[in-house]
Amino acid sequence: MQGNGTGRRTLLQAGAGLGLAATVPAQARAQTAPARGGDPLRIGVMTDLSGPFAGAGSVPLFQGAEVAIELFNQRGGVDGRPVAAVSADSQSKADVAINEAERLLGQERLEVVTGIYSSAHAVPLSGRFEAQKKMMWITSAIATAVLKDKGFRYVFRPTVHSDQYAEGTVSVVAEQARAKLGMDPEKVKLAVIYEDGPYGTGVSSAIEANAKARSMPVVLKEAYSSTTPDLSTLVTKLRRERPDIVYQVGYNPDITLFLRQARSGGLRFRMLFGHGAGWSQIDKLWDTFGKDIEYFCNADPAATQMLDWAKLRPGVGDLAKTFVERFSAKHQLRDLPPHASMGFNNTWIFLEHVLKPAVRKTGGMTADALREAALEVDIPVGGTIQGYGVKFEPPGSSMAGQNARSLCVVMQFENAKSHVIWPAALGREPVMPLPAGNPYALRS
Amino acid sequence: MDPFFLEALVNGILLGGVFALPALGLNLVFGVVDVVWLCYAELVMVGMYAVWFLHTQAGWPLWLAFAACLPVVALLGLLLHLLVVRPLLNSPPINQVLATGGVLFVLQGAATLVFSTEFRSLGVDMPPMEVGEVFVSGTKLAAFVAALTGAGILWAFLKFTYVGTAIRAIARDREVMPLMGVDPQRIYLIASAVGGALAGLAACLLVVQLDVHPFVGLSFGPITFMICVMGGLGNMLGGFLAAFLMGLIISVGGFWGTTEFSYVVAFAFFILVMFLRPKGLFAR
Repeated sequence: MQGNGTGRRTLLQAGAGLGLAATVPAQARAQTAPARGGDPLRIGVMTDLSGPFAGAGSVPLFQGAEVAIELFNQRGGVDGRPVAAVSADSQSKADVAINEAERLLGQERLEVVTGIYSSAHAVPLSGRFEAQKKMMWITSAIATAVLKDKGFRYVFRPTVHSDQYAEGTVSVVAEQARAKLGMDPEKVKLAVIYEDGPYGTGVSSAIEANAKARSMPVVLKEAYSSTTPDLSTLVTKLRRERPDIVYQVGYNPDITLFLRQARSGGLRFRMLFGHGAGWSQIDKLWDTFGKDIEYFCNADPAATQMLDWAKLRPGVGDLAKTFVERFSAKHQLRDLPPHASMGFNNTWIFLEHVLKPAVRKTGGMTADALREAALEVDIPVGGTIQGYGVKFEPPGSSMAGQNARSLCVVMQFENAKSHVIWPAALGREPVMPLPAGNPYALRS
Repeated sequence: MDPFFLEALVNGILLGGVFALPALGLNLVFGVVDVVWLCYAELVMVGMYAVWFLHTQAGWPLWLAFAACLPVVALLGLLLHLLVVRPLLNSPPINQVLATGGVLFVLQGAATLVFSTEFRSLGVDMPPMEVGEVFVSGTKLAAFVAALTGAGILWAFLKFTYVGTAIRAIARDREVMPLMGVDPQRIYLIASAVGGALAGLAACLLVVQLDVHPFVGLSFGPITFMICVMGGLGNMLGGFLAAFLMGLIISVGGFWGTTEFSYVVAFAFFILVMFLRPKGLFAR
């Protein structure tokens, strides 16, 4: 990628390098890491390195995981045994993701695959992993539907789920309505527009449910395809409904298309909330829209640099600092996207807290051993670089495999950087409504 | 009339303008050469990258980048014909379709390697026009006018020039015209270059409306093919009119129903047309 100093060519080379590890004799598979002392421990890393999802967060997700594996190996791996990643590019296509998963589990005989950017992939993949009794470790895909009432035993998600996004972005409005907007929360008109995959559908349904629970009116809720060439009629309908708050759940290019057509279509609002994915690529959005998106809000797990590292558990701040330094050295970005932290953090949780104890306990890394180790993970809040703890919902729970201690924050853009504004205890006071000079600000 | 409905109507017509130029180019090539360029949307993508690169990276004025885009994509159309289509002219149609489909993936892959998967923005926008409560995008309006102008120039070229007449004649009867002294290979080349130039013009209009990325063709490519088939493959006027019809169906359908519903209506209408007029809505 020209913009951030890491080209697609480099990415493919990295991916090919990681993938090559699976095709050479075991003794030669050890990475460049100093870890010594046994066969590499092979894990799958599946992300979208091409296609529309690549530019909407999947690439930094991969890059974050890459840094985690390198660092883990440099620190000795598991008692000298390095981790060798077998990478797969799901190309932003569910059918490719399924084929690649079959390859990783069948030909490569892997016991675990990490990564999975898109909920549209995670939904069909999760059942296959469960049926084959292999571990799926989701580092990004957030749709609640991936796990809800499925009773999966081999699918784990250390990151947040879609209901948490809605809780954050609706709470901000409900909590700030009187003080910042001078309106009762019940009078604030909300509109929800979303891409029509499991991700958009999951978050938008949760927004609607949260709004309903708070008696806040949703004046428009409408889906669209993320590859649509035109959203101007949707903009017209939004203008007709005059919402105070617009919630968008999108990847890209639908986000930029919407913002562009919203401006040319005269749409104005008091605040806009994005929900991760394309909205978390602040560098790219800023390059395209600059100050026009100043004070827009976005929900996602926090990028580690947004947190006060001193408040994290002992040693975690140092890990966060190491990650940011290494990632920044490889990829020149103004502000690390949350997906980079997600890729690193959730892979690190797996390596340090699941893989290591499982291998130490059993001497190998079967999916069953990994699963047992995962169910024993008990990291308190503040114990990871994204601030949350880890404790997985046990089998029998309606969200079995979901990290019950995951945390979604709401952030606000200011000067090309994101700052946490919710939960209030973690962040600064939000700027609401959009200042009058903003081209999207509602005229009073 | 409800101003918001009026705005939806205007949006539909302007959206039709977006689809019209690629539909024209695709139909021109098919009508003359009798080969479907499955990679047509990817030629547009290359043109969009050319404009983006020349304007934002090389610092060329926008008008000059636009002017350069047309010959660049025309040349690409020419090369596509010479290297891929011509060797397969006498092959079964499925081979031709697979070959141009292969070029689609080659162009997507090449763009990914050269420009990465980043979304590139030209950073150009025109202020909207506000008439009462109706907002009209200045950018889309300019693109619409340019599309109509391009279509008009193409019509004049085909109607009033010797080469244009030869192109129309070949499109009408590929077998007889060589007997009348027309060199079909030369006409194929010219039609491919003109088809490429139209893709270049479409690129100029789209690059100010959409971000450029290697898969941008997915946004408008499939629907362009549908429009061409609906208007009658090879029927330039038919494809042109079908583009506006499709734009209106999508826009008005989205206004009365939902954005997703509008595409259901559009595809249902397409299927209906295929049942009732298999050769296209405007087939003679």
